[in-house]
Amino acid sequence: MAGTSWTNDGEILLEQPTTNRTKFIVGGVLLLAAIVYLVVNAMSGNTQLYKTVNEFYAEKDRLVGRDLRVAGWVIGDSIQYTQIDDQNSILEFDIVDDLQNPGQRLHIVAYNEPKPDLLQHQAQALVEGRADENGVFVANEGGLMLKCPTRYEELEAPTASN
Amino acid sequence: MIADIGYLSLLIAFGLAVYSAVSAWYGHRKNDLRWVESARNATILTFPLVILACGTLVISLVRSDFSLEYVWRVSSRDMPTYLKITALWGGQAGSLLFWNFLLAAFTAAAMARKWDQQRQLMPYALVVASITQIFFLGISAFIENPFIRLESVPVNGNGLNPLLRHPGMIIHPPMLYLGFTGFTIPYAFAMAALISGKLDDAWIRTTRRWTLVAWLFLSLGLILGGRWAYDVLGWGGYWAWDPVENASLMPWLSGTAFLHSVMIQEKRNMFKMWNMFLVVLTYCLVILGTFIVRSGVISSVHSFAQSAIGPFFFGFIGIMLVFSTYWIIRRKDDLRSKNHLLSFLSREAAFLYNNFLILAILAIVFLFTYYPIFSELFTGEKGFVGPTVYEQALAPLFAVLVLLMGVAPLTMWYRTSLKRLEMGVRWPAAATAVFVLVLFAFGIRSWGALVGFGIVGFSAILTLLEFWKGTHARMRKGEPLWTAFSNLLARNRRRYGGYWIHLGVIVMGFGIIGVEIFQQDTQMRLQAGASLQMGNYEMVFQGARRYEGPDDLLITEAAVDVYENGRFIKTITPRIEFYTRTGQTMTIPKARSTITEDFYVLMVNWEPTSANAATFRVFLNPLINWVWAGSIIFIIGTLIAAWPNPIDEKATQIIRRPVSAHATD
Repeated sequence: MAGTSWTNDGEILLEQPTTNRTKFIVGGVLLLAAIVYLVVNAMSGNTQLYKTVNEFYAEKDRLVGRDLRVAGWVIGDSIQYTQIDDQNSILEFDIVDDLQNPGQRLHIVAYNEPKPDLLQHQAQALVEGRADENGVFVANEGGLMLKCPTRYEELEAPTASN
Repeated sequence: MIADIGYLSLLIAFGLAVYSAVSAWYGHRKNDLRWVESARNATILTFPLVILACGTLVISLVRSDFSLEYVWRVSSRDMPTYLKITALWGGQAGSLLFWNFLLAAFTAAAMARKWDQQRQLMPYALVVASITQIFFLGISAFIENPFIRLESVPVNGNGLNPLLRHPGMIIHPPMLYLGFTGFTIPYAFAMAALISGKLDDAWIRTTRRWTLVAWLFLSLGLILGGRWAYDVLGWGGYWAWDPVENASLMPWLSGTAFLHSVMIQEKRNMFKMWNMFLVVLTYCLVILGTFIVRSGVISSVHSFAQSAIGPFFFGFIGIMLVFSTYWIIRRKDDLRSKNHLLSFLSREAAFLYNNFLILAILAIVFLFTYYPIFSELFTGEKGFVGPTVYEQALAPLFAVLVLLMGVAPLTMWYRTSLKRLEMGVRWPAAATAVFVLVLFAFGIRSWGALVGFGIVGFSAILTLLEFWKGTHARMRKGEPLWTAFSNLLARNRRRYGGYWIHLGVIVMGFGIIGVEIFQQDTQMRLQAGASLQMGNYEMVFQGARRYEGPDDLLITEAAVDVYENGRFIKTITPRIEFYTRTGQTMTIPKARSTITEDFYVLMVNWEPTSANAATFRVFLNPLINWVWAGSIIFIIGTLIAAWPNPIDEKATQIIRRPVSAHATD
């Protein structure tokens, strides 16, 4: 193929791979180090622990005041939105680990957050925030995420047969 | 009754896929082409069978046949027909069947079209594509069967979630799935090249357009998903680094890396092993992505084992990974390149940096997405990584990538002198400095924004210059401006389509920086007649009314007058829609939308009893429309790059014919 034009730089070719290889390795290691630094730097102090309601209560003392992300199912009749004044509102609801067999409820409070459209009975809630000593979980700003039950199909079907 | 026909055809399709894999392998082994031909026919036949299966499900959906569990789950009598049809991909079982439809379509098309050109690759490509089909048809037929019946027939169905009744959400899943399934074809041909040992770039030429088309659909899927989030979810954003979003972003990233590195293989015959690796990686990420998107396992606290299809997906990915790695290792000597990188300042080196950056981004997204699993594995406690961490870690890498995007076209193959590069960037750099100073003079003090806009601006100038240089060269040959420009695009579709895509990314870059750094939001209750100020905008709440909409809809609509710099612009009507039967609410934002910003208003609460007061959440999203404009430019660029070139097509066929004739005798 283009072989002839290559051998014209034969000498360079013979020499180059070795120098290139060291350069290549050194450069690669430096770049990798930079990326590891970026990741570690971004993550340090910014990750949350991910807990279910029961896991939270099991280790409540240790977890109070820490950055958490809790997940659970919303109890429909616990949802309450209160407009205190023009600037302030409170959104409250309870979540549990299992709707069929609700154990302990975790009370979620969110200040000045709109009530998400998906916040309804049987929706799955993911909440970022911190818990206080009384077991009230205060959501961060923008820390409410909801998954709709129909999309992930957690609804109980009427008796299915094959 | 009709559903039984659907299920039966699904079963037959599954049987045919098994038959095809076995007989293609056997025929090739025994050197008996009749078996291979028969396998090919079987594979092509799966397509009409899967159409039939999808068709019967659609008919059942349209007729509201609630004896089928799936129909009950995702539809209801009062849904309009178009929604009943699109409910085919509204739930898990239906989506997987739809996935199968697209996969069968792609596979049949590839086998029908490329047969005569690539005889040697075909038997193996058939085997690999059929194995993928066996897996997905098997899941549909035996595990997530959409044709399961209910014992008692309910009167009405659940209905599709109103949030999913948005045009963006109706087209978004098919686009994503088209992208996902499309990548099966390059993978099948890559594996065929590995197994057959025909490692020249025939497989790359054969699959180039497939890859680009799959990538196009994946891009469209990502963009439409973002637009849907912005229009419907009402948090004023378009991307949240949600595991489901990341699951589609990751194969897109590895696909992007592949589209770039393939060019080095074509020009310099290097990076063969790397390209194989990227194809395998993309394929595995596609399968993983399908699973994540469908099951939602990462975002929920349920472990993988609890998901019914989880073990199958992981088993399949594992098998394909081992299978692919085995063949890459076995062919490693043939994949080794005789050519070396001659300089760190060259086009091929630029592609190498591009791949390094994209893979680094991919690795970070992967680590963060699966951090709950990794952290549980290593510390025994599930951790989670939020969007800010993604942004902090990835912003510098994206910045360097955009910079590279601008500079790389200035490099030459083999080697480029530093001086040449300097000449190329001197004036653009000066212009960028002026641009940044102007931004500073206009009061922008955030250094992140100054650096970001600077980099994006610099790459914008360099990319536009590429177009200008090419057009100018043609104009000197006597072509008028417009002819020169369109000829430039038509004659070098891949190259200038690529630059066009870069331009789209750059425009999106301006938008992303604008929204990320300068977004403002507030929430406030307003009495009728009261007003709220944000930026240059003022909104006056005129009052709200409640009325009944179509079906079971109850609509609360606010009238909000928007003023810009004190001048009345228009009245917008943000709404709350309430679906009385399901109890589902939908908050519909309305915006005053301009090229510089969106003034985006949501009514989040209305109190008809206590006077006429409503609570509003208001966002000022600077440059948000640049994100959408950039997306459109991006898609146009991909179309330019992927558009078939009749001249090329003929030429390759003429060259290819004698080769394939020779190969088959």
